[in-house]
Amino acid sequence: MTVSSQVKQTLASVKGARSTLQSFAIIEENQEAHAIFSRNIDRLDQVIADFERRVQELEFAEPQYKGF
Amino acid sequence: MPDVLMFLLRTALLFVLVLVITRLIGPRQLTLFDLVTVMVLGVTAAMMTFNPALTLPGGVLLITWAALFMAMQFLAIKFKGVRDWIQGRETILINHGQVLEDKLLEARLTPEDLLSRLRRKDVFNVADVEFAIMEPTGEMSVLLAKENQPVTAKGLGMPVGHASVPQTVILDGEIMDEPLAALGLNRGWLHTELKKAGVAEENVFIAQVDSVGQLYLDLFDDAIALPHPKTKELLFATLKKNQADCELFALSTRHEATKRMYTSAAQTISDVVRDLEPLLKR
Repeated sequence: MTVSSQVKQTLASVKGARSTLQSFAIIEENQEAHAIFSRNIDRLDQVIADFERRVQELEFAEPQYKGF
Repeated sequence: MPDVLMFLLRTALLFVLVLVITRLIGPRQLTLFDLVTVMVLGVTAAMMTFNPALTLPGGVLLITWAALFMAMQFLAIKFKGVRDWIQGRETILINHGQVLEDKLLEARLTPEDLLSRLRRKDVFNVADVEFAIMEPTGEMSVLLAKENQPVTAKGLGMPVGHASVPQTVILDGEIMDEPLAALGLNRGWLHTELKKAGVAEENVFIAQVDSVGQLYLDLFDDAIALPHPKTKELLFATLKKNQADCELFALSTRHEATKRMYTSAAQTISDVVRDLEPLLKR
């Protein structure tokens, strides 16, 4: 497994966690819990942005693995 | 025959009368006097049923007694002095771990009584008790010393998520629309979730939805084992795995800026994990 595919796997997993959190946040009615969910969705968004930038760099460096 | 009819009629009338009176008196905790009242009403009603001659005096007694009782209740609610006198006051039996012998005498309790009542409250050691009080109804309330009280999350300084009441969305195979709507969900969502679990709605005895939309099912057929929803636990585990991945990437790269990026990502996810732990795990 190449580095880029490992990074992409983790990226996908973080995105999955983020969407699960989002679905919790939508249904949750307690204000406090809702705030905690939203706050952590934002945090994960940062991580996702960082990872996406990194994936782009990796794809640029190793174009033969692009898309996987 | 008419005798039997009269008897039936009288019984029915008394039944209604006693029912009305007890409803008027209302639900309450029984003090000794309340017990006496219940007995007087019951015995009078029984005697009136068997003896027609007592119908008039018995009826007057029932109604007068009930009226006096309700008047007394009303006065008791209005005036604290009346209340204390009628219902009695609570008696402190143990204060700061010390048994108050004179109060014990006042409550007409022997030391054996005290111990037995404490035992009924699961207290076997008098030294564990900070405060014990005898309620006017004769019941005992016990406050344990702080170190003997059950551990609470607050005592441990442990953050916990809020307790939420789950909504019951299916009862006896019938979908309850109101609780569903209260959660902002609809039948379509419920059908999808049931399909995911692989059960038909008629087979569900009880279904409840928690505050984040996880569905708990109980089926009519207990032979079918359903997995409990694990979304929260799974999410928690996934986040922890992601954190570990980031740390691994940070270790395996030699590029300084990238290393820093991975380290900060790992830190962010660990913050997320810590922040969400009370909600996802407790």
